[in-house]
Amino acid sequence: MPQDQKPVLSVRDYSLGYKVGSDTLSVLKTINLTINRGEILGLVGESGSGKSSMASAIMRYLAPNAIENAGAIHLGATDLRAQTPRQLADLRGSRVSMVFQDPATALNPTLKLGEQLAEVLMRHQGLTSAQAWKAGEERLAHVGLKSPAEMMHRLPHEVSGGEKQRVVIATAFACNPELIIFDEPTTALDVITSRQILDLFAGLQAETGVASLYISHDLALVARTARRVAVLQKGEIVEEGDTVTLFRAPQHPYTRALIGAVPRPDRRLVKADPAPEAAPLVKVRGVSVNYGRKSLLDSLLRRDFTPVVGNRAVTLDIKPGEILGIVGESGSGKSTLAKAMTGLNRFDGLIEFDGKPVRGLSDMGRDYRRDVQIVFQHPDASLNPRQRISEILARPIRLYGGRDGLPRRRQIEEMLERVRLPATYIDRFPHQLSGGEKQRIAIARAFLSNPRLVICDEITSALDVSVQASVIELLMELHQQTGAAYIFITHDINLIRQIAHRIAVMYRGDLIEVVATEAIAAPDRAPYTRELLAAVTPPASLTLTA
Amino acid sequence: MTDFLRRLLATPQGLIGSLVVVLVLFAALTGAWLAPHDPDAMAALARYKAPGGDYLLGTDQYGRDILSRILSGARSTVTMALLATLLGTLLGAVVGTGSAYLGGRWDEAIMRTVDAVMAIPSLLMALLVVSLLGASGANALLAVAIAFMPGMARITRAVALTVRKQDYVSAAVARGEGSLYIVLREMLPNVIAPIVVEMTIRVSFAVMLFATLSFLGLGAQPPAADWGLMVSEARQYLHRSPWILIWPSVVIAITAIGFNLLGDGLRDALNPRT
Repeated sequence: MPQDQKPVLSVRDYSLGYKVGSDTLSVLKTINLTINRGEILGLVGESGSGKSSMASAIMRYLAPNAIENAGAIHLGATDLRAQTPRQLADLRGSRVSMVFQDPATALNPTLKLGEQLAEVLMRHQGLTSAQAWKAGEERLAHVGLKSPAEMMHRLPHEVSGGEKQRVVIATAFACNPELIIFDEPTTALDVITSRQILDLFAGLQAETGVASLYISHDLALVARTARRVAVLQKGEIVEEGDTVTLFRAPQHPYTRALIGAVPRPDRRLVKADPAPEAAPLVKVRGVSVNYGRKSLLDSLLRRDFTPVVGNRAVTLDIKPGEILGIVGESGSGKSTLAKAMTGLNRFDGLIEFDGKPVRGLSDMGRDYRRDVQIVFQHPDASLNPRQRISEILARPIRLYGGRDGLPRRRQIEEMLERVRLPATYIDRFPHQLSGGEKQRIAIARAFLSNPRLVICDEITSALDVSVQASVIELLMELHQQTGAAYIFITHDINLIRQIAHRIAVMYRGDLIEVVATEAIAAPDRAPYTRELLAAVTPPASLTLTA
Repeated sequence: MTDFLRRLLATPQGLIGSLVVVLVLFAALTGAWLAPHDPDAMAALARYKAPGGDYLLGTDQYGRDILSRILSGARSTVTMALLATLLGTLLGAVVGTGSAYLGGRWDEAIMRTVDAVMAIPSLLMALLVVSLLGASGANALLAVAIAFMPGMARITRAVALTVRKQDYVSAAVARGEGSLYIVLREMLPNVIAPIVVEMTIRVSFAVMLFATLSFLGLGAQPPAADWGLMVSEARQYLHRSPWILIWPSVVIAITAIGFNLLGDGLRDALNPRT
């Protein structure tokens, strides 16, 4: 076929901007891309680099304030920019389709999975509803879902995240499109699930020979998936080439910085273990957390009430100055434990802090609150958008008392310098800061009270890889200065192997095991730990992919 | 701020609403001086005059100039409506935010009480309060404020529930902050935007509610130049001169529509994404 010689997607000298007020914000600058049949092109970049705008431009689904230049976007022989909305509607789903980041929002929660899949087939292939339903079942079986006939009748909330993403992928592949755009398809999924989804994608890709644009911020993932990679920085493609060569010998400084920032378990960032014979700072003894409460009606009718289990009898120790990593998939109870320890959740059991027993909220006095600080995942949510940095940082000083003889404002400015932010930020609002800077403010707030235990709840997972590296560096520095113990909750196992002394593995509310970081890869680990580790893409593949 | 104003004035409802409200507020502030005649001066020879000539909007049953009465009445009517709404909103917002923060059984108890109060129509509620406390302007103000409180509490609670789940509230709880600080300083500033919108719309209800109370003789007392009272008095002279009834009614309607439009405009301007 003549189309086989022509690239499936070609983008020529394409620029895109958004009109904001009277200014134009440039998002993509003179982009050139081609994807051939059967090829996967990885598009890597940090947030704000214009990755998703590229996807929208190809799908011709742009915001009304978008301004484009004269550049061309061709799908095979079709000029996508010249299509009428009606023609585009025919194209989408049949010749180009898209897989979004979060399957939970990509599927309509009020429609059965089967209806959503069959609709595509009816719309583009002219099947009757019965035929489409039958074909849908086949498609679902094809993406490795067990009992597809039942699955067709379920609603999105009745299946797991991984199953949802499989349905989305089945829908994308349903009409054998020429091009599929994947916009961070595994970011919202667990390590093990996303590994399975990637394997599925690789299989389907090889089988159908569809051309794919794989958008991601995760370099390790892209290195595994794509054969050719383009690196996007601030709307410009700074480097493009064969995956192996690009990762082995990156030319552009930005690419080098990106690759250098990826966490590697073999590069330890933390000094030797804390004194092993020291008495534990915190003893967690049989702490259980249950969600939900028995309603009045339940007790009146003597109905049984089964609470949702968050943690089941977790027992662990943290030594002074130790960094304890907690890993596990979402829903494993990592954050639940953190919330119990900071008095945000009720719990049963005993927490002993520095010899003092804490059995519930009422035992958490001012001293405990001062000694145990928490930093949350999303700095956008953990800093009050209506308060200035000065007010946010003044609270811990006010509550716990700062150093005497020094004006409060001066103390805040000193703290800002310690977290490497200019002292002039003191009068700004959080929205005037970048994501990484906001997280530094949150860290500053925690350290202002001179805590002895800091709980970091996924604090870098909302950040770009280069920002993450600098935040981790700051945390390690503060660790050395203050000697505070850390509980570092994360799902990034490569990262935690860099910084933790010991790692606790959690699964569905249970603590599976606590092991020294060096021994995490040992063969005699619990089966779940081994499974989790096997699913992680080792960053070594950045240099070793053959 | 200028950006916000531009967004507000960009929509037709925002522009018209702002214009009308500014006009009404201007009248409320300067009406007494602008009035061409003494609003209370009677003229036996100039009764039931149609609009035109010396009396731009005509005269009423005592020969008082309607334009002057509307202008000088703007102050009491609009100020009362604004004050009552402000008071009701503030009380409702604190109750709603507090309820959302406390959660659990407290939330349940507060909200069911609010529901019970809400079951009584606001006019009936206001009538009840006024007849208990006696008919006067101040009592009418209190009555309207109390009548507005449950509705505002409900709306605020709905918004505050989402704010309650934000990490900055969790951070404050984990820090050991007091409940009062969390409700007033952490949560309330973040629920203010929808409250402001709701408040603007409620001002128009308040204008009408006051007019109704005055109409029923429970609000402003004659010979005050209150718009609602003017409509009430004019009722008997409808067949002699409809203008006495029409003008204050028109002004009440315009004010209500103006605040309503402003509320719609504010809602769009405060949520640039919708």
